[in-house]
Amino acid sequence: MQAFPPQRTTSTITSLELRGITKRFPGVIANDKVNLSVHGGEIHALLGENGAGKSTLMKILYGLYQPDAGEVRINEQPVTISSPQDAIARGIGMIHQHFMLVPSLTVAENIALGLRSSRGLRLDLDRVSAEVQRLAELYGLRVDPKAYIWQLSVGEQQRVEILKALYRGAELLVLDEPTAVITPQEVDDLFAMLRQMRAEGRALIFISHKLREVIALSDRVSVLRDGRLVGTFATAGKSRSDLARLMVGREVIAARADTKHPSEGAGSIALELQDISAQSDRNTPALHGVTLQVRAGEILGLAGVSGNGQRELAEVIAGLRPTSAGTIKLAGKDLTGNPAERANAGISYIPEERMRDGTVLEFSVAENLILRNHTEAPFARGPLLNRSAVDRACRDLIQRFQIKTPGPHTPLKSLSGGNIQKVIMARELSREPAVLVAAQPTRGVDIGATAAIHQLLIELRRRGGAILLISEDLDEILALADRIAVIHAGNIAAILPHTEATPERLGLLMAGVASEVT
Amino acid sequence: MFKRGTLVVVAFVLAVLLTACGGAPAAPAAPAATDAPVAAEPFKVAVVMPSTETDLAWSQAMIDALRSIQAEMGGEAAMQISISENMFNVTDAAAALRDYASAGNQLVIAHGTQYGTSMFEVARDFPEVSFAWGTATDTGEAEGFTNVFSYNASAEEGGYVNGVIAAMLSTSNVVGIVGPVEAGDAKAYIDGFEQGVLSVKPDSTVNKTYTGSFGDTAAAAEAASTHIAAGADVLTGSAQQVVGAIGVAKERGALWLGTQSSQASLAPDIVVATQLYDWTGVLKDIIAKIQAGTLGGTAYDLTLENGGLKIVFNSAFPGVTPEMQAAVDTAIQGISSGVITVLP
Amino acid sequence: MEQLFTLTTLTGILHSTIRLATPYLFASLGETISQRSGVLNLGVEGQMLMGAFAAFFVVVTTGSLLGGVVAAIFVGALLGLLMALVSVSFRAEQGISGIGMYLLGLGLSSLLFRLTLGSVQSVRGFAELALPGLSSIPVLGPALFKHSLLVYVAFALVPMVAYLLNRTTWGLNIRAVGDNPQAADTLGVPVIAIRYATVTVGGAMAAMGGASLSISAVNIFQENMTGGIGFIAVALVYFGGWRPVGVMLGILLFSLVSALQIWLQLVGIGIPSDLAVMLPYILTIIALALAPRRTGQPAALTRPFNRGMA
Repeated sequence: MQAFPPQRTTSTITSLELRGITKRFPGVIANDKVNLSVHGGEIHALLGENGAGKSTLMKILYGLYQPDAGEVRINEQPVTISSPQDAIARGIGMIHQHFMLVPSLTVAENIALGLRSSRGLRLDLDRVSAEVQRLAELYGLRVDPKAYIWQLSVGEQQRVEILKALYRGAELLVLDEPTAVITPQEVDDLFAMLRQMRAEGRALIFISHKLREVIALSDRVSVLRDGRLVGTFATAGKSRSDLARLMVGREVIAARADTKHPSEGAGSIALELQDISAQSDRNTPALHGVTLQVRAGEILGLAGVSGNGQRELAEVIAGLRPTSAGTIKLAGKDLTGNPAERANAGISYIPEERMRDGTVLEFSVAENLILRNHTEAPFARGPLLNRSAVDRACRDLIQRFQIKTPGPHTPLKSLSGGNIQKVIMARELSREPAVLVAAQPTRGVDIGATAAIHQLLIELRRRGGAILLISEDLDEILALADRIAVIHAGNIAAILPHTEATPERLGLLMAGVASEVT
Repeated sequence: MFKRGTLVVVAFVLAVLLTACGGAPAAPAAPAATDAPVAAEPFKVAVVMPSTETDLAWSQAMIDALRSIQAEMGGEAAMQISISENMFNVTDAAAALRDYASAGNQLVIAHGTQYGTSMFEVARDFPEVSFAWGTATDTGEAEGFTNVFSYNASAEEGGYVNGVIAAMLSTSNVVGIVGPVEAGDAKAYIDGFEQGVLSVKPDSTVNKTYTGSFGDTAAAAEAASTHIAAGADVLTGSAQQVVGAIGVAKERGALWLGTQSSQASLAPDIVVATQLYDWTGVLKDIIAKIQAGTLGGTAYDLTLENGGLKIVFNSAFPGVTPEMQAAVDTAIQGISSGVITVLP
Repeated sequence: MEQLFTLTTLTGILHSTIRLATPYLFASLGETISQRSGVLNLGVEGQMLMGAFAAFFVVVTTGSLLGGVVAAIFVGALLGLLMALVSVSFRAEQGISGIGMYLLGLGLSSLLFRLTLGSVQSVRGFAELALPGLSSIPVLGPALFKHSLLVYVAFALVPMVAYLLNRTTWGLNIRAVGDNPQAADTLGVPVIAIRYATVTVGGAMAAMGGASLSISAVNIFQENMTGGIGFIAVALVYFGGWRPVGVMLGILLFSLVSALQIWLQLVGIGIPSDLAVMLPYILTIIALALAPRRTGQPAALTRPFNRGMA
């Protein structure tokens, strides 16, 4: 544990080497003899699908796990990292995907946490604040040291995380999916800062599955698949499809390739929201007069930074959250006061928190597949379940939706994230919904499953379904949506046809900088 | 991981429960001192009571009586006593009563009004076992019970005499009463006490409070403090909680009048006199009846007249005047002869 | 009725309030520290009983009040350590392990009392200590500044615990560990060690609460003498929003009503005594139900920490 203030130059990391790292968990080998070499002054991308072993490898580097075999070397010297404290002392910093911040504490308190105070037992937050200000100016990271974490936007919280690492004199910084939750402008700022840090000679490990960003940012890229290192390559000269192939191990057909946007206004209005307002869980206003329409045979993308009302909007449409004002019409019929009716009238919902809201993890695949209509024929005979009908229907769905499961009676929780999402898609799409609300349908899902899910959405559109696609991934929205609505602070900032949408323009709208209601 | 945690908790709780049971060492098992072969089978008696045998009050009065009879009869060879203490939970008490009835005891004592319902249920299932309960006046004869004795204490009588003493000792003419729950034996004592005080000094102030509990020592202490702050210089109170009040009275120099058992050992300087419950006579009579084949049907009452209630001065307390002694004798005679009527 | 509004009565009520608050302050402040680090210790009642017995026993056998205090702190810390072992290391369900601790304290204190002292007796405990000058202020002086040493200590703990939690590195660690132990862990804060420390300190303070009864307020030990104070103390931590000053205000309100109801009975204004003794509890339940905020609640309260398992 070092004292205030932090000193740079004490322990410059010129090279980091992971040699033959192996980590086993019951039933799986998360890392299998992985070698990785990173040097100071480079941005090294770590690429792999969910479950490929990236996070495990980084947790070993940060002292959160101990490897079963292998060694870590820093500047050619073997080292043992038995705790995060060790890692910090050796100049390793980590920006976790789920921020490691204490919401009830201030920025300065979060940064001072775990450090010795210059005043002995007494906290010296003024001194911390001054140092934070200095670092913030140096790297262009604007943040108020006295603000509480819960008051900050996600982008600001990320800055606090980076400041925390810099304050501790991090010479090697690991960033786990840092762009997943921030706007394109914030991504640009982040990249600029990472390049500045590279210029100072720091080593950076950038974990991502966004190929575009890996290519734009990194000097070298290491690809992990199924716990093994596929290889380390110079990024220059690798195309996105090269990387995708290395990551998945086979050709991947990107959804964009066969996307044909139908002509605008092709179908009738399937879902219409007029001046919808609603409250958040904390009883603060979350939606302020949202108006939008989704037509049959179209995908309306809803772009926005997380926490701007997307979840509340999805839940209002699905009938899970009461409205405080406005009307909801389905195929012209007013169903505002009738939340229960909405599901029956043909609205399907793929929730954002699929582990919590959309499924019962303890139940089998089959039980989850019939969760919505298990009381109807042919699955039910009176109060009893017709097991053979259930089995037949489920085997059919498992095949149609290419769900990778040992069988229909496997507990859902033993499936991968992508396959759990396919189970939900299968259940919802098999009802042939008139309207589908898909909230973050591919978040945390591997590339193969993402492509399959995109294909399913496109097919539903072709069959005349109206789809509201809520996503924080602009690439996904740009690839699939016919029109794009941008939500900011509970308002629809703009609705653009896909031909006019660029990442830059959407980013400005998402940040609330510009508002252009069409 | 979760499973290991659960196991640890289970083991922990078990260990704790075992310790807790150890805390009441007189579980339904007969004392071990039966090695000496005796010709006659000992008389076996069991008692279930709400506090400990050393509570200086309600429970101790009963145990003291049983032990003196035991000694008189010839020790454990002649009489075995099983005790369940701290049975403040009536459900637990009911289970203990049933265990004792089926364990071959000849007499099972349910020492608390609150045990009545459970006791009658058990008594119906064990017609060959004799039961006694109190304070109560109902032997269940109307419902056909022939195996139940009841015992009562006319606590108001000694309360009255204690009140006379208190009034004569008080210089502030304010006395305080630390009551437990406003019912039964305690209420009778307190009402008698108040009447006794007012019979000597009709313009005295008698302050009464109840703690709502028989065993809350801390609450009784606070009540005593409050009484003293309100000007009381003589205090009384009933139930096992009063040790808390006596501690405070001792600290602050107030005088104390006791009931049920003698509390003089706790604070020899301030305990003036005690109304003693002497259950010996009642118990001897019950045992004699059982040995003669009568298992129930008698309702006993402790009074000053029949000697079940005694006013005992603390010999270590110096402030008892002959005048006071005379007033006490007069009051006792008046109550015994019916000249003085103490309210129930 | 008018007797209730005299200055003497007012002084009496305030004096009772302060004295009644003392065991709660020790126990609740200790529990606040423990809960702020994310550990619910429901075993406070058992730790109080053991503290009450240990202090009483040492004072009876040695006559040393300081010895009594040291014994209570030692025994309380030991039980706190045991609680930490079960709740923190074995990650047991904290509600259950707390009940276990309560039963352990109840059974063990009763057993040891019987094996050693056996019968009720009294000791010469901490005497009232009138603070010169302050205690001669009219009305308030005798109510606030004429108490035994442990009463002053209990109240002095309020700003001390507030300072510890809000102004020291230890306090920062405690708050972080109670809100997001994973985050604290990644910064090298020793989560487990801190929870051990807070639960141990909490146990020692609970035991002091028990000692404040047996060698200061009542000067007697009797089996189960705390009669539920430890459980109310836990509720008062919620009531006070996990902030020492808030906890103190909640305790003072509860104690004030407790003191008031005795006086109400004493002046005989005709409230049934059964109702009067319920007043403080009714008030607590109403206040807990009406309190809208749960904002101060440590986010990781009752959640065991397991590195790497977010």
